[in-house]
Amino acid sequence: MTDWLGIEDRSITRRDAFKHLAAVGLATAVGGCGGADEDGTITLRWWSTQAAPAQRAAYQAQIDLFEAAHPGVRVVFEAMSDEGYSTQLAAAFASGDVPHLITHMPSFAVQGYYANGLIEPFDEVIEAIGADDFYPGANDVYRAADGRYVGTSVGNTAADMLWIRRDLMERAGIDAIPETWDELRAACRAMQGEGIYGAPLPYGLNSATSLIFIGFIHRAGGSVFTPDLEIALDQQATYEALDFYRSMLELCPPGATGYSWGEMITSFVSGATATGVYAGRVLANVTEQNPPIADSITCALYPRMSRDIPAWTYNDFPCVCIPSAASNKAEAKLFAASLFDPEGYIPQLHAAPGHVLPVLESVAENPAYRDNEIIEKYPQEIDLMASAAAQGYNLGFETTAHEPNPKAGEIIASNAIAEMVQRVVLNDEDPRGAVGSTVTRLAEIMRS
Amino acid sequence: MHAAPPSSLEKHYARIGVVLIAPTVLVFCAVILYPLVSAIYLSLFSIYTPTLAGEWVGVDNYTALLASGDFWSAVRNTLIWTVGTLILQLVFGVAMALLLNQSMVFRSLARSLVLFPYFLSTVVAVLVWRWLFNDLYGILNHVLLIAGLIDAPVNWLGQMPNAMISIILVGAWKYFPFVVIVVLARLQSIPEQLYEAATIDGAGPFQRFTDITLPQLRDVLVVVVLLRAIWDFKEFDLIYLMTGGGPVGATRVLSLLVYEEAFRVNRMGMASTYAVAMMLVLLGFTLVYLRQTNRLEEG
Repeated sequence: MTDWLGIEDRSITRRDAFKHLAAVGLATAVGGCGGADEDGTITLRWWSTQAAPAQRAAYQAQIDLFEAAHPGVRVVFEAMSDEGYSTQLAAAFASGDVPHLITHMPSFAVQGYYANGLIEPFDEVIEAIGADDFYPGANDVYRAADGRYVGTSVGNTAADMLWIRRDLMERAGIDAIPETWDELRAACRAMQGEGIYGAPLPYGLNSATSLIFIGFIHRAGGSVFTPDLEIALDQQATYEALDFYRSMLELCPPGATGYSWGEMITSFVSGATATGVYAGRVLANVTEQNPPIADSITCALYPRMSRDIPAWTYNDFPCVCIPSAASNKAEAKLFAASLFDPEGYIPQLHAAPGHVLPVLESVAENPAYRDNEIIEKYPQEIDLMASAAAQGYNLGFETTAHEPNPKAGEIIASNAIAEMVQRVVLNDEDPRGAVGSTVTRLAEIMRS
Repeated sequence: MHAAPPSSLEKHYARIGVVLIAPTVLVFCAVILYPLVSAIYLSLFSIYTPTLAGEWVGVDNYTALLASGDFWSAVRNTLIWTVGTLILQLVFGVAMALLLNQSMVFRSLARSLVLFPYFLSTVVAVLVWRWLFNDLYGILNHVLLIAGLIDAPVNWLGQMPNAMISIILVGAWKYFPFVVIVVLARLQSIPEQLYEAATIDGAGPFQRFTDITLPQLRDVLVVVVLLRAIWDFKEFDLIYLMTGGGPVGATRVLSLLVYEEAFRVNRMGMASTYAVAMMLVLLGFTLVYLRQTNRLEEG
């Protein structure tokens, strides 16, 4: 039931009833062609957090293909941002003015919206794409508590790979790529100098810091939640991760205390840091913006505290999903499935080669996918990222044993974990106090 | 003695009066009263923003607000930002207005150019300033390094107190032209004879400034201070884009807190509570402003 401001009591459904009535009324009034323009054209709005110029061009090509195959349907692309999507979507959902398709948002955000009834089940689309064609387990991250799929990945992304300059390693007398934190710190210290810093780790009050730091907790053998979603942050692994993260600050550029994704990639690509932490977009950016170092770069799994701790790679599992309040869902589902047609999907992957990796086995094996300058130049790096991403995790899916965490999106958006890092690293606060208050904050979010 | 009953003409005029004022009242209700009452009403609920699903919590949000360290920290940050940037706006604004009031070459051009920061989009201005402040490629660090004033790049936006100082400086740069416009207009209306008489009496430039210019500017400066204080107090975009409230919430002002609660953690009820608290402070500013303007009108 809603009151005069439209606030809906959780136990009451007047609003839903009103919506249904309105929908029935509208459908009756327009003879069942709800959502179409005056000339009968159906317009689908596609929102994405990834909209680099090359990607936009690839999306437009996919739109053109779909529109040619489906006369009477028009698709409009609109960009969101990594840091701003939660705001845009909160407003969109609250107003009911939602897009028909959302892509590239992290999987945990989709799970959160689905848990609140805001996302349409996606099983039909996965079937239309071909469930057997996905890598085994690729859609596990999108399985909700009710057993249905809430979306799928438009690609895989190994978002926290270690990028490193072999030329600087050689100059510093480093033989092997670091595998442990001690080795990484020593390598960064050895390579730092002459205007080049060791690493561009993010310490800003933003989602990048939270997401990257969660990886450090796992690479110390810990986790933020237990498999049944009890808060597990107050553990030795968190303190070890904070201690290491704090020790790396002196090896980062001074502005790292405000770094987010953009500064992280720019620092490494421009040559300002000897190592980097980012996804495969580094390859295209180095090739285009800093060719002199293109032959020297490579990537590896990000080092962990010790070799006996398994690697953990952050994969945001960039989504494709459909809001449940969207009109013309049938057309939206058709369009969602069409994004995976090789004719348009491969150029989309080539628009960010190595950054967005294929989720369909048939596409990964397709010679047309391999026929790309960057993919051909960096085959080992691409294969490593593909395998790391396929075994990747995020806060909504910390391990295969974990239940989906529908509050992960809000936890990341709250910057609670980034603030914990800043308090320990920048304010030099007692880690136990910082962790304790973060646990309290996470508990509040989990309860809300 | 009873008043004569209103004539039909008076009743007719009264009805016309109601009809004429109705649009204004309706617009006022729609754009002022409704949002105001809505915010207060929402603050009594716990509401999940995307669905607007919520439940009545009464004054629990207000209790939580008063007990929240984040709120008091944001109040302190808001006051530091408002006072800091306001003082600089006044100093720069008055100084520039005095300069532009002098006879000088290209005075018209200078008067136009000084308004540039005020008319520039905040997003564009912040992008430029963030680039200037950049640790690796910013010209500010570059110049300071070349001049030998620093040994390593300064972290302008990522550590305290640099972050607060930086946003205060950028805020002052962005908004001081407003002070220039208002003060310059007042300066041009000060009778020249006052300065001539003071000069004949032997007053120097400093005495003329303190004994004539400042008293003449007092009333207009009071209004400027109040208006700018209200606007600076609720500043959002410049601070959000410059620092996002960091580091460690040290530049998180009240408006950022409202935004974070509403759209980051999706607690619209709590966000409304912060907004209402903010509104009460602004109400205080507004009452002082109204009292001052009434006093000026009566004077």
